[in-house]
Amino acid sequence: MNPEAEKVFNAGAARANAAYAGARRNVTINPITRLEGHGKIDIFLDAKGDVERAYLQVPELRGFEVFSLGRPAEDMPQITSRICGVCPTAHHMAATKALDSLYNVEPTSAGKKIRELVYNAFTLEDHALHVFVLGGPDFIVGPDAPPEQRNIVGVIGKVGLEAGKKVIAMRRRVREITSYFGGKVVHPVLGLPGGVSKALKAEDLAKFKELAKDGVEFAEWTLAVFKSIVLGNPDYVQMIKSDAYTHQTCYMGTVDANNKVNFYDGATRVVDCTGKEVCKFTAKQYRDYVAEHTEPWSYMKFAFLKSRGWKGFAEGPESSIYAVGPLARLNAADGMATPKAQAAYDEFFKTLGGKPVHHTLATHWARVIEMIYAAERIEELVNDPEITSPDVRRVPTQTPREGMGIIEAPRGTLFHHYQTDANGLITMANMVVATGNNAARIAMSVDRAAKGLIKGGNITEGLLNKVEMAFRAYDPCLGCATHTLPGHMPLRARIFDHRRAVVRELVQG
Amino acid sequence: MHEPARAPLLLLGLGNDILTDDAVGLQVARQLAEELASDPRIAILETQEMGLALLDFLTGRREVLLVDAIQTGRAVPGTLYELEAEHLQHLTGRTPHFLGVGETLALGRQLGLPMPERVRIFALEVADVHTLGTQLSPAVAAALPALLARLRAAVRASLGQA
Repeated sequence: MNPEAEKVFNAGAARANAAYAGARRNVTINPITRLEGHGKIDIFLDAKGDVERAYLQVPELRGFEVFSLGRPAEDMPQITSRICGVCPTAHHMAATKALDSLYNVEPTSAGKKIRELVYNAFTLEDHALHVFVLGGPDFIVGPDAPPEQRNIVGVIGKVGLEAGKKVIAMRRRVREITSYFGGKVVHPVLGLPGGVSKALKAEDLAKFKELAKDGVEFAEWTLAVFKSIVLGNPDYVQMIKSDAYTHQTCYMGTVDANNKVNFYDGATRVVDCTGKEVCKFTAKQYRDYVAEHTEPWSYMKFAFLKSRGWKGFAEGPESSIYAVGPLARLNAADGMATPKAQAAYDEFFKTLGGKPVHHTLATHWARVIEMIYAAERIEELVNDPEITSPDVRRVPTQTPREGMGIIEAPRGTLFHHYQTDANGLITMANMVVATGNNAARIAMSVDRAAKGLIKGGNITEGLLNKVEMAFRAYDPCLGCATHTLPGHMPLRARIFDHRRAVVRELVQG
Repeated sequence: MHEPARAPLLLLGLGNDILTDDAVGLQVARQLAEELASDPRIAILETQEMGLALLDFLTGRREVLLVDAIQTGRAVPGTLYELEAEHLQHLTGRTPHFLGVGETLALGRQLGLPMPERVRIFALEVADVHTLGTQLSPAVAAALPALLARLRAAVRASLGQA
């Protein structure tokens, strides 16, 4: 780091450290750049031993924000893509869009289309991974199956070997799109302010067209699998619709000019629990609509709608809490922009009793519908004559100052916001990730599960499993940035009495 | 690191290069890749990916050596563990984003993909994988030469040169 950058870094770190220490109050203070909270559940009991409030703590990204200070803004798409080994492309793209805004440069039309192509390929792959590998064990194998079967091998046992091969092969082929443009899948080097680094050569187009066609078939097949295994089982359907997994909150998602779901660009729209539009905003305006609430006992920030003010963890028509992610996007939009996805969308709301759908577990179904959209959108883009245009970048000429970018990550709306000095060195970086946007609703789900399972100080067996079911559908980030063996973080629950002393600690994993 | 043909032996470094000691597997792979660049019988790669991505690396190899960080908290940082993947076939149902090496091997075999006969994991006990940073902690940095020496010997043995 050069001395100038070091000065900016140190000043920023001191500021952030002071603000952080102030906000944390009674919680143990660790070094500022530490990621923490790997699936910690805190349960606070009242004097009678009933649950007063239960919360899930997930890792925060403030450390990352400090880590970015003093670095050249152009490095942000590469640096932020290291946040997570699961959604590198989402951070890469949000950062790239924030750079467009920072340098006040409009990407060329072909540049935007290539970004959207890569982004939809990433979403298709990530959603497929979730359906078959992460959520599949709960739904395809079954929530009551023995733990040793609730994994991808169990999923393949259920859907069949040929189907398993199809999933693995499609996943690999879809990743070829990302590698073609961005090199490594985990650290794509695609996005530049004003466009992208590589054009699509006309001679390579045929294989992408072939892949797009197969992608649509694959997504439709996934919907058929989901319908026969999940919707064909009355127990699953009953569980999806049960009160335990239902919350009446607002929903946020990005939509195009016709209010149809769009993952890459558009305006971000929020509807209330009756489906009425509450607001619609662009990246530049996000600070006017989204605020973050902190609680004295937690380092977590709970996003809420600024216009409505923080009203606590409350449901109903006046709630200022919103959800993001596949279910929220379907609820916040008026439909899908492609025909097959639209048909699946109509069937979804018809089956579940109209809009909006408040059942968290319906997220798994919504994700499959989004796979169809992603595949159809890839097909549209590779058949667009402009996709092979060499005009993929407009070089920025203005002095950087402040930039914001919004993208729909697979898990939900993601905001990146940077400020720089005149040399383009980061002086402020803020990110609101999908898990932060969902934090309040996740807390409500965990709270409801805990309240049902702890009465008068008695703790029901299997508490952790059932609480986990309550938040798994949101797929929150649980320390996924680290890679260390054994590869997963233990889930830990701490139970506090009314004097805030730990009375019990449970660990699973 | 471009690989024109699938080498039968793979040494793969795993980790995240901006989370302090989590980078140890990547750093080791980078170092060995320079030393052994000219030998077509071995591929030396690094990845920050997780889960199913491992399948792409494992497919079509005869033998794989994985280098990773581990945090058991029961040994001093710098302690090296050598594990056989066969002993790790612990299929957990509640891994959030992750398929372990054992699960990936089991999946590959079930799908009929050519999986390696042997997968060994060289896991170094580390001190800190949660602080953002690009410097190894002192204990792990001090253990690096011994880890590299062990891996060079393992590679030589696997290539039949021991």
